[in-house]
Amino acid sequence: MKAPPVSISCRDLTLRFPVYGVDAKSLKKHLAKITVGGRVARSGGATEVTALAGLNLELKAGDRLGLVGHNGSGKTTLLRALSGAYEPDEGSIEVQGHIAALLDLNLGIDPSATGMDNIRLRGRIAGLSAREVDQRLPEIAEFSGLGAFLEMPVKTYSAGMQARLAFAAATAVEADVLLMDEWIAVGDADFQKIAHKRLLKLVERAGILVLASHDVELLRLYCNKVMRLEGGVASPVTDIKRLDELLAA
Amino acid sequence: MDTATHMLRTGRRGPLFEVQMALRDLRASVERIDLAWSLAWHDVVSRYRGSILGPLWITLSMGLMVLGIGFLWGEVFGVSIHDFMPYVALGIVFFGLVTGTINEGCETFVQASGMLSQTALPMFTFVWRTVFRNLINLAHHLVIVLAVLVFFGFWRAANYPVAALGLAFLLINVAWISMLVAIISARFRDIPQIVQSITQAAAIMTPVYWPADRISQKHRAILDLNPFYHLLEAVRAPLLGHGVAAHTYLFLAALAVVGWGMTFGIFANIRRRIVHYL
Repeated sequence: MKAPPVSISCRDLTLRFPVYGVDAKSLKKHLAKITVGGRVARSGGATEVTALAGLNLELKAGDRLGLVGHNGSGKTTLLRALSGAYEPDEGSIEVQGHIAALLDLNLGIDPSATGMDNIRLRGRIAGLSAREVDQRLPEIAEFSGLGAFLEMPVKTYSAGMQARLAFAAATAVEADVLLMDEWIAVGDADFQKIAHKRLLKLVERAGILVLASHDVELLRLYCNKVMRLEGGVASPVTDIKRLDELLAA
Repeated sequence: MDTATHMLRTGRRGPLFEVQMALRDLRASVERIDLAWSLAWHDVVSRYRGSILGPLWITLSMGLMVLGIGFLWGEVFGVSIHDFMPYVALGIVFFGLVTGTINEGCETFVQASGMLSQTALPMFTFVWRTVFRNLINLAHHLVIVLAVLVFFGFWRAANYPVAALGLAFLLINVAWISMLVAIISARFRDIPQIVQSITQAAAIMTPVYWPADRISQKHRAILDLNPFYHLLEAVRAPLLGHGVAAHTYLFLAALAVVGWGMTFGIFANIRRRIVHYL
């Protein structure tokens, strides 16, 4: 049986965060006037932030969607919802295809474990079997360029080396749907160059890319569509050529 | 491009739907049970990284405790070492499994907050991780159990199949308690302290370090109503060549049914919210 093609479909997606241990009465007045963050409301005794409200989104293979918006406008929340971590309060999310979320490079990194062990762990979390991880290990190790350091605990690494390791491990996945919070090319100038290349390859292979970023040039480079989020409310998906209009609106 | 995976997430659609979603989480965790095992294994390895004896420290420290308490308290209670040492050794090891799994349960979801908030991994995976981690520790302690049983000659009288059955009863109950405290601890951060106080009190109330027959018939209720006593008895008694009372199995079976029913019900109801607690 042929599997259905890659797609993302959000219908009337609403996501609320319960915030615990906050006195809403004192905060509410202040927050209501601020442009960052979702809308804060109080329901059933708990303070709730509406992070996404009635969002509709249809993406199919070949779509490269850029997400723009202020801090706290719901970009990361949407990415996390698409990754399957956050459940909608209303509406639905449907994703066809294997999802890879490159949201936090340091996910599952254990500083006291060796570089090799961390690559293994990260691969396992990303859904690879132990054997698949072992098969990819040489390639990931080579790409990281860390050589003998891979046998040492990650806590002995410099920040740049840690970033290399995390990047190499996180991008060793095959995905139909790639979710990214900022373009994550990291490391020194040399590494950034090959990191860019690797990410581009990943993007090319993936059917759909959703990239949240504040960098307008970057979005123009990698995306063909764009959506703006404002306080959890989404604009219609528009062509990337109209990015300026969208930002000015 | 063809794909093999499909994800559908929706808002609440009534209690039955929530139970189905919770069951789906459970099923997914069982399909990827090797991931829980890998995580647990990694936990144990990383805890003892850089130490020479490694995980054998678990065995060594436990062995020293068994020796110390066995000799001293055997003297205090006026029981022969021959009987008391195996009794205490088994008590400490298996009660340690109970309290370890429950105490560490408090951290199950809190520790996994990074993974839970950006991946679709099943939540049950992390419950199994805690259980498996404690089973790996138990495997190290079994060296002591075997040494004591052989040294004091109980290994021939021990009924291993019945002990294995008891261990199954113990695990199935400890797992739901561990999961329950994991859920509640994610929401209320005072719970770990309360849980620790309870397990500490249980260690004193339960005949781990003292002979159960010191309790007179008149006060049997102290034992019969203590779930920890039944959990321990189901494993310890057969290893010492004693039988296990039928009401112990009944008690544990009832506890498992009620406990899992309650825990699963709570989980199904607030599963969506747990990630927001973290």
